[in-house]
Amino acid sequence: MEGLLDGIEHLERELTAEPVAAPAMGSFVLHALLIASVLSYGMISGLFKHSVWGNQGGGGAMQVNLVSSTIPLPNNQPVNENVLATEKPSKAPVAPAPKTQQKVDETAIAIQGKQVKPQEKTTQKTPPQPTPKTDNTARYGEQSGTPIARATQPSVGSVGQTAIGDSDFVSMFGWYVRQINVKMASSWYKQEVDPHTPPGARVYLYFSIRKDGSISDIRLDRSSGSPTLDQSCMRAAQRVDSFGALPPAYTKASLMVSYYCEY
Amino acid sequence: MRRVFVKSLLPHLPVLLLCLLCWHAPSLHAQDWVHTGTNLSNPIVRIAAADFKPAGSDPQTTALKAVFDATLYSDLGNAGIFDLVSKSMAPQAMPGSPQEMVLAQWSAAPASAAMVAFGSFSVDNARLAVYGYLFDTSNTANPQVMGKQYNEAANEDMARTIAHRFADEIIARLGGGVNGIAETKIYFVSNRTGTKEIWSMDYDGQNQRQVTHLGSITLSPRVSPDNSRVAFSSLGREGWSIRMYSLELGRMVSFPGGAAGGSNLSPAWTSDGTKIAFSSSRSGDSAIWVADASGGNLHKITTLAGPNVSPVWNPRTNAQIAFVGGRTNEPQIYTMNQDGSNIQRMTDSGYAVSPSWHPNGGMLAFSWNRKYGPGDPGGQDIYLFEIATMHWLQMTHESGNNDFPSWSPDGRHLVFQRKLGGRTQIWTMLADGTHQQQLTKAGDNSMPNWSWK
Repeated sequence: MEGLLDGIEHLERELTAEPVAAPAMGSFVLHALLIASVLSYGMISGLFKHSVWGNQGGGGAMQVNLVSSTIPLPNNQPVNENVLATEKPSKAPVAPAPKTQQKVDETAIAIQGKQVKPQEKTTQKTPPQPTPKTDNTARYGEQSGTPIARATQPSVGSVGQTAIGDSDFVSMFGWYVRQINVKMASSWYKQEVDPHTPPGARVYLYFSIRKDGSISDIRLDRSSGSPTLDQSCMRAAQRVDSFGALPPAYTKASLMVSYYCEY
Repeated sequence: MRRVFVKSLLPHLPVLLLCLLCWHAPSLHAQDWVHTGTNLSNPIVRIAAADFKPAGSDPQTTALKAVFDATLYSDLGNAGIFDLVSKSMAPQAMPGSPQEMVLAQWSAAPASAAMVAFGSFSVDNARLAVYGYLFDTSNTANPQVMGKQYNEAANEDMARTIAHRFADEIIARLGGGVNGIAETKIYFVSNRTGTKEIWSMDYDGQNQRQVTHLGSITLSPRVSPDNSRVAFSSLGREGWSIRMYSLELGRMVSFPGGAAGGSNLSPAWTSDGTKIAFSSSRSGDSAIWVADASGGNLHKITTLAGPNVSPVWNPRTNAQIAFVGGRTNEPQIYTMNQDGSNIQRMTDSGYAVSPSWHPNGGMLAFSWNRKYGPGDPGGQDIYLFEIATMHWLQMTHESGNNDFPSWSPDGRHLVFQRKLGGRTQIWTMLADGTHQQQLTKAGDNSMPNWSWK
């Protein structure tokens, strides 16, 4: 009986409607308020412009790239890509002081039976120093002058002119050849070359330099087998506006240059 | 039979070979050949400037020669393309002529010079006579690269001018087709007389002279490509107007389009000197306007909202203009075509102003407070910006507020203003950020502009 009563009571409790309306209303109001506040925040913050750092949606790229290759300044130092590199390096640590020999107390009385450790001989070993090569100098140009041309030149005509015309350009105007090298090296972007290119691959170009120093007739002479290397070397020549006027003492109209780029 | 034929030919072989060579000879002689390539060690040219040999007994010689020697030495050092032999390393010899030149002295350590500039310097009848030579020390057979002779009035200015000219000749010869800048000028604003006037000086800070005497405020001087006129903005009765000063006539000349109401600021010449762009607020917001050099044919080229100021032409093509646009919250650098089309934003953030276009057209220099990112010290610094790749490089670091960069005509140097400790002064540097030098000391000096030649 008691069990039945309990069941009825339980059923009654189950069937009685719970007060849903008030909590639901509360929840609805709360959500509405939340949405309204988000919307109004968006609208209000849109109305007032404030200092935005960078593009909306990202801080922009962070780039530290050297562009100095287009500045006509000599650039023969390896590019230091370290952002934190400083021109004033900190001092190198002081070299450790040489080991001092253990002092032997001469006044001490020797303990009988104690083996005295023999002192290690400290003879400084100097590593073998390489002797610098005496012929370690830069050589410009692959070939020296063409002796054939000199031999066949008839020895008539004014001496002065022949001397200039006959002598090899490299020996007469070595400084101009250096200038060609510097200019070409600075306008050749090695990073354009496919890294799979075997090191040592060479592409040979022909071009001629006009009296005013401008470059013309750029042609590929011998391909390196790597199209990107060929292309990059051609581009290097095309980038050069002028090598500087040819030396006034050079009387011919133009100078032919055979140039190679070696990867 | 065949062997006999060959045998009969043998005695004639040299002749035959010679004939063959003669046949080739014209092609060999038509042009000289140079064979060269990469990896052949291309060090910076190490150059020594010997003290010139004094000639004659005029009392002025010593003083003028000191000016000449110092100027030549500093010009070669400032060029940025040489490794200059320090005076303490150079031999004591003063060779005055090619005959007195001992190359071994200069090519040996510690000078180890690849090139030597030397010559003689004399004053005679109030005239300076200077003979200058440039020798290649590695070429004992034909060492002379250049020989020059100068004859000018004997005074300090001319001694300096001759040194500048000789240095420029050397730089033109060894600088790979880029002329030197030793004879160029820098125009700037200075308040040392009490009001802001236009001043000029040599590129190394010497010879500072006042150009305008308006007694008002003048800003942003821009010299014309032929060095005949200076355009600037000045505060007058009609507000800020673009005005023009003739350096040849030494007086103001008219520029009618420059004063039609509103603020007219920051003029910019095309590299051919035919047009001037400037910013004007005569029609509302500041916009970029273009006029002929005479001040006529005026038209507006930017139509976008927001202030657009500080135009500069691409000196290579004269077909593009870079400017500062304020349509976003903070000023940014933009480029556009000369008709106002194809506007492109260059900088993505921060506060970017004062563009200056590199002579080869490939780069911009400008002043930027990045306000964001690594290495940002919060200061305003000079940056280079390569237009094709959109890459940039910081030039100045943690040294005051830097603004108004202007390129030298050789594209190797920049002049700019630096505000440090409350004083604004003009500085120059190489375009890799090194070799920074202060040029002005008196008063406050700002808004430098490097002449075109």
